Amino acid sequence: MTADEARARARAVVDYTGAERLTMNMGPQHPSAHGVFRAILTLEGEEVVAVDAVIGYLHRCHEKLAETLTYAQYPSIASKTDYVAAMTSELAYVMAAERLGAVEVPKRAQYLRVLVAELQRVASHCLWLGTWCMDMGGALGGGATIFLYCIRERELVLDLFESLVGARLLYGFHQVGGTRYDIPAGWTAQCRTTIDLIETRLLEYEQMLEGNAFFHMRTRGVGVISRELAESVGVCGPLLRGSGVAYDIRRAEPYSSYEDFQFAVPVESAGDCFARYCVRMVEFRESIRIVRQVLDGLPEGPISSKPGLKSVAQVRIPKGETYARVEGARGEVGCYLVADGSAKPYRMKWRGASFSNLAVLPHILPGHKVADVVAIMGSVDPVFGEVDR
Amino acid sequence: MASDGRRHGLVGESMDLASAVFRAMRMTFVNFFRTPVTVHYPDVERAYPDRYRGLLALAYDKDTGEEACIGCRLCEFVCPPAVIKVEMLKGEKRNYAKTFTLELYACEFCELCVQVCPTDAIIMMKSFDLATADRRDMLLDKDRLHAIGLAHEASWATGNLLRDMQAPPRKAPGPGPGAAAGGGA
Amino acid sequence: MSETLTAVVTGSVLLGGLAGLVAYVTLLERKFAARMQSRIGPYRVGPHGLLQPIADGVKLLLKEDIVPAAADRPVFNLAPVIFVIPCLLIFATIPFAPGLGVADLNIGILFFLAVSSMEIVGLFMAGWGSNNKYALLSAMRAVNQIISYDLPFILAALVPVMLAGSLKLSAIAEAQSGLWFVFYPVIGQLAFLAYLVSSVAAENRVPFDILEAESELVAGFRVEYSGMKFAIIQLGEYAHILGTSFLGALLFLGAWSGPGPAWLGPVWFLGKALGVFLVLTWVRWSFLRIRVDQILAISWKLLLPLTLLLVMITAVVVVWRSPGGF
Repeated sequence: MTADEARARARAVVDYTGAERLTMNMGPQHPSAHGVFRAILTLEGEEVVAVDAVIGYLHRCHEKLAETLTYAQYPSIASKTDYVAAMTSELAYVMAAERLGAVEVPKRAQYLRVLVAELQRVASHCLWLGTWCMDMGGALGGGATIFLYCIRERELVLDLFESLVGARLLYGFHQVGGTRYDIPAGWTAQCRTTIDLIETRLLEYEQMLEGNAFFHMRTRGVGVISRELAESVGVCGPLLRGSGVAYDIRRAEPYSSYEDFQFAVPVESAGDCFARYCVRMVEFRESIRIVRQVLDGLPEGPISSKPGLKSVAQVRIPKGETYARVEGARGEVGCYLVADGSAKPYRMKWRGASFSNLAVLPHILPGHKVADVVAIMGSVDPVFGEVDR
Repeated sequence: MASDGRRHGLVGESMDLASAVFRAMRMTFVNFFRTPVTVHYPDVERAYPDRYRGLLALAYDKDTGEEACIGCRLCEFVCPPAVIKVEMLKGEKRNYAKTFTLELYACEFCELCVQVCPTDAIIMMKSFDLATADRRDMLLDKDRLHAIGLAHEASWATGNLLRDMQAPPRKAPGPGPGAAAGGGA
Repeated sequence: MSETLTAVVTGSVLLGGLAGLVAYVTLLERKFAARMQSRIGPYRVGPHGLLQPIADGVKLLLKEDIVPAAADRPVFNLAPVIFVIPCLLIFATIPFAPGLGVADLNIGILFFLAVSSMEIVGLFMAGWGSNNKYALLSAMRAVNQIISYDLPFILAALVPVMLAGSLKLSAIAEAQSGLWFVFYPVIGQLAFLAYLVSSVAAENRVPFDILEAESELVAGFRVEYSGMKFAIIQLGEYAHILGTSFLGALLFLGAWSGPGPAWLGPVWFLGKALGVFLVLTWVRWSFLRIRVDQILAISWKLLLPLTLLLVMITAVVVVWRSPGGF
């Protein structure tokens, strides 16, 4: 079935069948589109009967771009795929290059990578919680309150990144062979205070949400992804774990010394929005736990096995192809790299977690109310830079 | 509370709603008395960290007072969005940049140009304040880059410091020279 | 003659004062909400943003008035006016001090409740006339919701009426000179709570703001309105909230009664009304929105039976307490 045929079939479902139906466009410019997502909803009253999802409004030729940039240049561009969790997307790219070139990464660099990846997960989940609550609560209500609380805490993590790297959103922290920056003096103490604070603030969010009957009404039994559906569609990350599959790449295929750290992989079996919420709330705490372990056990030593970058074509990777993947905040972020021995990859293929997570929407949206559409979309937590690339 | 977190029946549901109201409103009330996090930006500027990656600028050599850029074009080659254009001017003792243009409107502040600079000529400032209504104002030439360098406080990173921090691999194991020093002023 | 003149003068004074009050009530809400969210709110226009409402008004006045090409023009243009009239009219019956009011009808509360639910007409016209799917869905939700919540609202307001034994608002206020109805054992507190909940719903504010629901329906019924028409709708909405707050203060918090000389009465009244308004605002900025079916379920399965029960209990209590009772 070609793409056109598939689309024609999807459209055939939403065709007018004689019932009182209304076709409503949600997006690409919509307050809760989480970027530029267009969902063509067919409604019967308030109920969604069919969804035609349209993506591609944020396409920036990332994969082609990777072919024109060298291994030294691309990491700071890779952060633009998933700009909410930029650290992990950079990590996927440099890991692929390192695997191909059999580049060893010093222990300190590996620990620093874990450190920033987990801090990034905390920051990304902060944004998820805030925007999701804003979807459900509105920009002119309690949702905005939680959103601003979450942003307030996310900013603290971004402050950490700012004093580490100098930038708040797109970092360029990783490079092939290690990291570009070492932690500055006093940073460890700042980091500890911040994660302690965020841990106490998490309790406050739970006070506002978990014991809240309104929140339960909006999330329980809404957007149920069954285990079978989750596995067949190929969702990943918190969605998969919310549907009862205990799968976490950090555990299944440890990279960057994740095997050195103690952490739990939360699993919920319900598969609804509330289960995904629970999974992410535990992940918040587990990330903070890993950050503490890294800070306690950070070894001394060099931060890079390659000399500091002096020219654009300094890093050359021998011929070959490989796939590297990391557990990002939204699930499996993967990078398939084909190298031809020069300083630039021959081909790169990006696997975005949001893209495969988004594919589940047409399966679970029908049968829900319009208000649930935004709740479910928020619980999927897509980042459109990563969907469209 | 029941296992699914909700009670049933008229009384149970009303009790649930009442506790929901109480908890959420208590949290907003607590936050009402916290100090706002807002910074009155144009009046008050927050402190930028030492490694802040802000406006780009060209520096003068600290010893001789000459312009530090030797026009080697390394930054031009490494720039991922290709916003830097340099022409070299051959000199007797050393080379200079004949022209140096930087399209700041397309720059993504990745600091790779700073990283590769052999003479620490291109640096970043602890400021981002170059808002303008005209894109052409963001097309920086050599003079403006030098002026920006004098007008703002420079951040910590220079090419040599960055390369030092990324410890050379073939050295004996031990803390790299920049391991603890980085930006900890 | 002089009676007519009084009504006209007080009416115009009231309308002018109301417009100003509404403008500054929005500022109050914005400041209040901002503090709850760790922000500071409007700050730049005037000292601490005190001139912000005026700047907003000027901005809205100067904005281009856009009528969508496919809109039902007469309905679209008329809707804000039809919406705002009942919202302002409800103030006609409210006595701000003994004898100070436009018209102290002897069926004052009935008039208030009847007129206040008329806003739905303008609201539905706005939703229909915009010829916009978001607006239409929002208008449909509005009809659902406002009809469901007017019943508990009326029943909750009925409790003080029964306790005071009069439909006249000034009489209800006078009846509380001894004991505010909110302090009436058990019944008073429950009725006040029910009144607050149903007024939040009747005002379409979070958690019951499904007709505005900007994360689903962008801006609901007013998605196509801009400029002055938008301002009028906004004025009507806030006037309605204020009217409900005033009624709440009158029915439960003893209206103008309070320590100090008699001329302080209106000030007390205003203060109490703003207190009720702030509670409504506090609720608004603390909760998530609930879904349309859940809102209806809460109204019909929870609030309506409870308020009905409350009214019956009140009836029993009133008869029991009256001289010839039982």
